[in-house]
Amino acid sequence: MTDTDDSEITTDGNDGAAMGTDGNEDPPTGDGSEDPPTGDGGMDATAGDGGGNATAGDGGGKIRTDGGEIGDAADAVAAEADHDHEHGLPPWSSLKRWLVTTNHKDIGILYTIASLFFLGIGGIIAMVFRVELWEPGAQIMGAGAYNGAVSAHGLLMIFWFISPFAFGLANYVIPLQIGADDLAFPRLNALSFWTYFLSGILFLFSFFQGGTFTGGWTMYAPLSIPAYTPQIGANTTVLALALFIASVTVSSVNFLTTLHRMRAEGLTLRKLPMFTWSILLTVYMMLFAFADLLAAGLILSSDRLLGTTYMAAEGGSLLWTHLFWFFGHPEVYIVFFPALGIMAETFQTFTGRRLVGRKWFIASMVLVAIQSFLVWMHHMFLTGINLEVKTIFMATTIAISLPFDLMMFALIYTMIKGKVRFTTPFLFSFGGVLLFIIGGITGVFLGAVILDYQLRGTYWVVAHFHYVMVGGVTALIAGLYYWFPKMTGRMYNRRLGKIHFAGYFVGFNLLYFPLFFAWGTPRRVFQYAEMFTIWHQIATVGAFILALSFAVMFYNLTVSIWRGEPADDNPWEYATSAEWAIPSPPPLENFPGIPSYADGTLSFLDRSKAGGVTDGGTVTETDGGTVSGTETSAEPSHASFWPLAVGLGLFIAFLGLGGFQEGEWASGMTGLFHQAMTVLGTLVTGGSLVGMARERFVGPEMPSAGHWPFKNVENMKLGVWMFLASDVVLFGAFIGSYVFMRFVAGWQAWQPVPHDPIPGLINTYLLLTSSFAVVLALVAARRNSSRGVAAALFATFGLGAAFLINKAIEWQELFHEGLTLSANIRTSTFYLTTGLHGAHVLIGMLFAIYMFFRATRGAYLDDERPIEYFGLYWHFVDIVWLFLFPLFYIL
Amino acid sequence: MVSLKTYTIIYVVLFVFATVQVLVEFAGLEYFQAATLIMVLSFIKAALVAGYYQHLRYEPRSLTYLMAMGLAVVLALSVAATFSVS
Repeated sequence: MTDTDDSEITTDGNDGAAMGTDGNEDPPTGDGSEDPPTGDGGMDATAGDGGGNATAGDGGGKIRTDGGEIGDAADAVAAEADHDHEHGLPPWSSLKRWLVTTNHKDIGILYTIASLFFLGIGGIIAMVFRVELWEPGAQIMGAGAYNGAVSAHGLLMIFWFISPFAFGLANYVIPLQIGADDLAFPRLNALSFWTYFLSGILFLFSFFQGGTFTGGWTMYAPLSIPAYTPQIGANTTVLALALFIASVTVSSVNFLTTLHRMRAEGLTLRKLPMFTWSILLTVYMMLFAFADLLAAGLILSSDRLLGTTYMAAEGGSLLWTHLFWFFGHPEVYIVFFPALGIMAETFQTFTGRRLVGRKWFIASMVLVAIQSFLVWMHHMFLTGINLEVKTIFMATTIAISLPFDLMMFALIYTMIKGKVRFTTPFLFSFGGVLLFIIGGITGVFLGAVILDYQLRGTYWVVAHFHYVMVGGVTALIAGLYYWFPKMTGRMYNRRLGKIHFAGYFVGFNLLYFPLFFAWGTPRRVFQYAEMFTIWHQIATVGAFILALSFAVMFYNLTVSIWRGEPADDNPWEYATSAEWAIPSPPPLENFPGIPSYADGTLSFLDRSKAGGVTDGGTVTETDGGTVSGTETSAEPSHASFWPLAVGLGLFIAFLGLGGFQEGEWASGMTGLFHQAMTVLGTLVTGGSLVGMARERFVGPEMPSAGHWPFKNVENMKLGVWMFLASDVVLFGAFIGSYVFMRFVAGWQAWQPVPHDPIPGLINTYLLLTSSFAVVLALVAARRNSSRGVAAALFATFGLGAAFLINKAIEWQELFHEGLTLSANIRTSTFYLTTGLHGAHVLIGMLFAIYMFFRATRGAYLDDERPIEYFGLYWHFVDIVWLFLFPLFYIL
Repeated sequence: MVSLKTYTIIYVVLFVFATVQVLVEFAGLEYFQAATLIMVLSFIKAALVAGYYQHLRYEPRSLTYLMAMGLAVVLALSVAATFSVS
């Protein structure tokens, strides 16, 4: 490919493409002339050949055609808008587009904006309590408001800002880096976004429901139960967190399937760009860690709403810390890994050098991802856990710093070996490294048991984890600047970018470093010794400088979207990943042809040609990119209304459920309102899910998909297995909680709640038989018997119903004897764990009856995979029961 | 593809094992002996369902490893948490 030419052309096309609002040639006022002459400027001059990284290996002729297609049209905008429209997607300027889009790039932008919105809220709250801390004692807030403020700040920043911010970038960039047209399940991606965003809105509602949760972001028991935090807003906060986790789970499954199944031909794991590597490991950690948090969240919700007694029971508060920190420590790396990926990526681009020790860097990340699940008790050195286990976890904690040392040295050495260009993204990345090093070293102190006795619960911890967490944020901001030209087709104002960095870095250190000096300040309260006043005042000043620097960023980026200097395909020389080989912003279908690394470098294969080469099933996709006018009905879809509808339904239902506390609805009108919302929300959710299932939606196909280690596992199947892996952890955490609580209470003194195991045995028979029925359905489908399929599915449904009815009768009897959920910890664990399983059975029955009706009309004969995948779920539910039965009925 | 006969045999085995688990309880063995036996039977049943009904045996081994990872995570949590208060 004549790279240079092609890029030039594309650039021109892009000038118009970039939002197409104003005359593209007019120099960005003021900004342009003030551009720093060094580094950046030089880079721009040579940017034209940036596409050189993407050499079109074969079929040059084809490529040129494709390239021309994007580039030649002077009115690329109009063309693109039309193209989008043909996929049922309104133009960018239409609000409707943003409500129905399922395209990963749009969703990425939505995530980015929504997360920055929550940054704003969390930041304003922080400003308020930094003002409060100007002097010791109550100044402008009461104690309750202060508790609520610090709790909300922590929850909003960690859950609703940092990770979603990273996933905004990941959503946009990952499919581009791996050569996919979209994520594996675009509608689920939209669903993730809407449940995430609306869960955040639900969180904000909690402020108006008698006050938000006030028990700290760690939600330590027993402060987290209604006896201490009785307000409805506290229920809402916990439910908002549960909804957020649901979003994360869907997102993890989606990303894992995409990362394993949608990579371009020849793009092996070894060759993955660093950012993609970091996200791959992040989503693996998310899949398992958030499943554990879901267990914790469900147990807490159950204590608050249904009146189980986990948290108030002996050992309950310790159980919470285990469940919470088993999630919480991987979460540190879930938050930090995307930042690490951006550091590696930007260091390579702006030093013009390949990452030193790249292979070892990746190995270190893998090691940390595994180790992250083995260090959680270092958050618990001051609890009643025994000294042996503390010692073990001290060792694992110190050990986890070693791979990080390697990574930091790799980055530093890359910088030394390369020629550094101090662009805004690099400055933020480099700043992030410095801050993280400080955060990391101060963390090693905390990892030592003896020191931790002294430092736990003080501002040392506050300072340390802000250096780590916000150090990570620093690199994420680097990512935002780095990909901003790709996302918008415009360059930000470079001078303002550097001003932002200066303000940010100074503000950051003024804010957090004095907290090390004021380490004697106790956490979570506004009382502190007079001698620390000066440090707190410096910190407050720093907080305002930090906040102001963000104002500069918001101004810069907002104005630049419309008035920034047009950016070409690859505004950063030496950027090597695939997103820089296509226009800025990329067209709806991302690539001019099918991306392939088969011959070592990136090339784009002709779609129609490639379709013939690969298996027949994917022909639908082949002419996706060409504007040939021969669009088939199987063009990939990019719009669906249902994800938003499901999200809204869940939002309404969860808002309603907040009014239910310890087995009772709130009194009077409030209670009626909440009941109505719960019913309405459930109906909307259910209806929308059916609508989504029935909608005709063509997902992206990947003709060359198939890489180790999930080469021959089809997308949907892999998705189901990924989900089941997280469900293993969910149930495992419930069973682990039961084992833990029983152990604390004395194992053998604890009698099973049901008096005899026979009802449980009958249920085991029913469930085993239902599993067999699903197997029969699959066999019938393979034998082409639609009556057989329908009958077997109906039997599955019926046996599931019998299981639940039998359980209901059993529970009824136990209730009559006074063995209710709230009676004691024995009954709490029994009802909640088997109840969660019952809920899984119920959901499975809904699938079964839906599939039964489809089967009566002859579905599944030509493609029995839906039955197979449903079977995977149903058998899993069966397996869970195989453990619950002996644990809760016999032992 | 596994034959219907195999599926049926497995169903019968599962059925019998479940019954045996309850019989063990009534057999009057020492508590932890009985408990171990019952849990071992549960693991065998689970392996049969996963291996044949979910046909993990015939899938790429990586799927088995994925599930093993989930199991390892759960065991780490449960065992270490319980050990921490012993």
